[in-house]
Formats: sequence, C-alpha cells, structure tokens
Amino acid sequence: MSKIQKIKLYLFIFFVTTAIVFAILFPRLTLPFGFSYIVYIMAHPVTILLTKGTVKQRIWYSFLVFLAFLFLLFPLFATIYSTNADLGELSTQLPLIQKIIQDKFFLFKVNFFEKYGIRVNLDPVHYMMSKLEFFGTDFISRFPDYLSSIFEWLLLVPMFLYFFFKESKNFGNKLMEAIPNPIFEKSYVLFSHFNTKFGEYIIAKFVEAAILGTLVTIGLLIIGFPYSFLLGFVAGITNILPYIGPVIGFIPAFGIALLSKDPNVSMWGMVIIYTIANLIDMILVFPLLVSKIVNLHPIVVVVSIIIGSQLGGIVGMIVIIPFIAFFKILFKEIYKDLSVNI
Amino acid sequence: MSYEKEMMEKMSQGENTTDRLDIPLLKYLWEASPLSFTSKESYHEFFKKISVLSSFSDNEVRLFTKYLHRREFTTNEVIFRQGDSGYGFYFIFSGSVNIYSNHQTLNNEDPGDLIVRLEKRQYFGEMGLLEEFNRRSATIIAAENTVLLGIFKPDLERMLEVHPVLGAKFLRETALIMANRMGQLTREIVSLKKKMKELEQRI
Repeated sequence: MSKIQKIKLYLFIFFVTTAIVFAILFPRLTLPFGFSYIVYIMAHPVTILLTKGTVKQRIWYSFLVFLAFLFLLFPLFATIYSTNADLGELSTQLPLIQKIIQDKFFLFKVNFFEKYGIRVNLDPVHYMMSKLEFFGTDFISRFPDYLSSIFEWLLLVPMFLYFFFKESKNFGNKLMEAIPNPIFEKSYVLFSHFNTKFGEYIIAKFVEAAILGTLVTIGLLIIGFPYSFLLGFVAGITNILPYIGPVIGFIPAFGIALLSKDPNVSMWGMVIIYTIANLIDMILVFPLLVSKIVNLHPIVVVVSIIIGSQLGGIVGMIVIIPFIAFFKILFKEIYKDLSVNI
Repeated sequence: MSYEKEMMEKMSQGENTTDRLDIPLLKYLWEASPLSFTSKESYHEFFKKISVLSSFSDNEVRLFTKYLHRREFTTNEVIFRQGDSGYGFYFIFSGSVNIYSNHQTLNNEDPGDLIVRLEKRQYFGEMGLLEEFNRRSATIIAAENTVLLGIFKPDLERMLEVHPVLGAKFLRETALIMANRMGQLTREIVSLKKKMKELEQRI
C-alpha cells in the first residue's frame, strides 16, 4: 500500500470513528436521524414506484415529507389534548390503582394465612408500588421535556427526510468516493447488503405488527372486550420486539381484565384471543415474512435483544436484530476471505 | 427586460440587431476554459464509443452512467488480486491496466506473469457481476494513473428494480461480452490442441 493510500485509509477510519462518537454523544440528533432513516427505508418501495412515474421527483418527495409531517402532528395533538384531561385524570387515578392492587394483595395475604397458616411477605409488592408511584410522578414532572422533544422531532424528522429523499444518492456517492480503493468493493457490497436487510426487516416487522394488531382487535371486538382498538394497536407495536414483545403487549389487557368489575370482560376469552393471534404469528406470519430475512438462531435473537435494550432501550431492542444479521454476514465474508488466503 | 425579449422586440420592430450573441465563439471559449468539464470526454461520449454498449439509446446511456462509480488508481496500484471476492465490472475511462496470473506476493515486486495490457475503453471483471461467489481469476494492476468506472452487484440489482428494461439490456450486453470471451477461449483451446497434436506427431 502506497503512502497516499495509507493516509486515505487513516483519514477514512478517523471519519468513521468521529461519526460514531458524534452519534453516541448527541442522541437528540441521532435518534430523529435514525427514525427518519427508518421511514426513508420503509418508503423505498413507494419511491421506486414514484421514480418510474411521470411526476417530478421534487413534487413526490415533498409530498412524502408532508405525509411524514402529518404523521408526526398526530401524536403531538394527541399529547396536547391528553395533557388537559387524561393526564390530570391519570395523576388522580394512579394512587387509586395503587390502592386497589395493594388491597387485593392484602386480601390474598389474609386468605392465604387463614387457609394455609403461612405469612406471605409483601415487601416486593410494596417496593413495586413505590416504583410505580415514582414512575407516575416522574413522568408527569418530565412531561414538558417530552413535549419539547416532540416539537424538536417535528422540526428535525421532516428536515432529515427531505435530505434523505433529495440528497441521499449524491451524499452516498460522495461517501463512497472517500472509501479507499483496497476496501471499496467489499465495503460497498456489505453496506448495500446491510441496507437491504435492514429495510426488508423493518418493513416485514411492521407488516407482521399490523397483522397481529388486526387479529387481536377483531378477536377482542368479537368477545366485547373494552379498548379493543387501543389494545390491538399496543399488541401490534410491542410485537415489533421479538419474543419479549408479545408478553409486553399482553400486560395491559391482563391488567384491564384483572381490575375490571364488568361481568362482560372475560379473562379467559382475552387470553385465548392473544394466544391464537400469537400462534398464527409464530406459525404462519413470522416464518413467511421475517425469519428468512434475519435467519438467526432463537438464542442469538434473545441475547441480542437483551444487549440491545442495555445499549439503546426500546429502539435498541428493535434495531439490534438487523445489525446482528449484518455482523453474521460480515464475519462470514471475513472467514471466506481468510480461508482463501491461508 | 431580459436580453432575449429585447432582441425579439427589436426584431419585430425591424430594427438592426448587430449586437447578436456569437454562440460558436462562446461555445469555443466555454470548452477551451480550463475550468470547464466539457473540454474532457464525458461519460456519455465515452460509453457511446464502446462497441458492446452501442445499442444503448442516449437516454439509456444517461441512466446507465448514474449507476457507475468513479475510482481513481495511481501507477502500480493493485485494483484487485487473484483469489479476491469479486463484485464488480470495470470500464477503463482513462489510463491502462496490466493483467497478471500467478500473482502471489502482497507487494508489487513480483506481480506474476503478464497476460495482457488493457487500454482505454476496454473492460474487465464481468464475471464478478454475474457469479454468486466469484473469485478473481487474475491480478489487475494500474499500469499508469488510471480512472475506472465500476458497476457492482448492488447497482445491477437496483437497476433491474428501478429501470428493468435498461437492466435487462445491460445483462444482455454483459452476456455478449462473456460469449465473446468464451468464443476466444474456445479458439485458443482448439489452436493449443492442434499444436499439441503436431508436437505429439513429431515426437
């Protein structure tokens, strides 16, 4: 490798390292940037269709950005409205919910002692209740911060999206030019492979989530369970997280069934609906849509999710899977090269 | 008022328009400018002169150039080595390259046996674009400062997705290149066999 090539390679490594450090140091920019990238990737099939059409590019990507803007406006208005009514109600309801749960556990403790003569230690329950109270008050006190970050996203996401639609190709080409010759072919192919995998995974997960959400909603509507649309939506969204998602999605419905005094609310009916919906997902939807794309061992998936949650919370849990799939390809390529060169 | 409108008005009123723009002179000055890119050969002109892509229309050439990557190599810089994974197909935009076989060393002191030298408008590496797990069959080193225009597997996939007609046409041309190479190889094998037979008869 000549001196110029070495300088180019070191500069490139420096550039990549700086970009990673910047991304870690400024999550307020990185997260909306990442979110915009996911939306951009999800819009890929539509952009291809529109590219083939006669409509000028500037018009259709402005339209797509406007759609994303509307999509972001919805949670903003929903949040503002909820501040007036729901949040006030939530702050009064939280101690009530806490009291109901504590009373139920106290009754359970008394009944258990009367029946079996054993005193149940309720300290973990009290600890959990205090945590719940802390979470509630903490959420309410931090609410203005959340609102300001929503405004920030409202400004940044359409801006980044516009950048992706308009400039990503030119910017990508400029980046590609910066890659030194000896690693160009492999880097370019691996990057493209990752982009494709990531895009396919995100789209497949959202389609899977939509199918599961619809199944749960229809099932809950049939048995007359309350908040069926909301619970279906929650089940769909949480299902994006592999393995752990269905359990998290089930908790709100379980809570409602447990606390509700309405005789129409059937705990068993709800459990059956969730089980059937998740079975359909596991047996039919996941193997057809997602597993072919990811192709990872279940243990690797679970370990990855745990690592992802530690690194980047919920977003980390979702995006870690395509990253692991990418690393699998990367290691395979390196191994293939090593086996030829040795 | 714009210059164009002013001229139109003068012409309609029958006035003398002697201060007309000298377009050929302006064009010459523009092209002769060291800052102008038109003085160099454009990608469009370059591809129009490549025989295997001569069936491409002007618009197809324009679209095709969008999928290309410009890579610059200095003299004696290795483009790829024998045994490397191959993903791309290169056209020589300027300069020239040497193709070596049996290239073993990692430095360029012993590049191996020189097979052929490829010049401007020639191409190499088409197998890398078509084969699933391609290994480069020779080492290619820039003989001088060289500019290559490369197209890689992801670009071909994207081309087939976005511009399927162009993708199919390009694949057909690549298949033609392969067929020509195969024909050349067959002819060489036949001639070698002939020579071997002659040698056997002499012995």
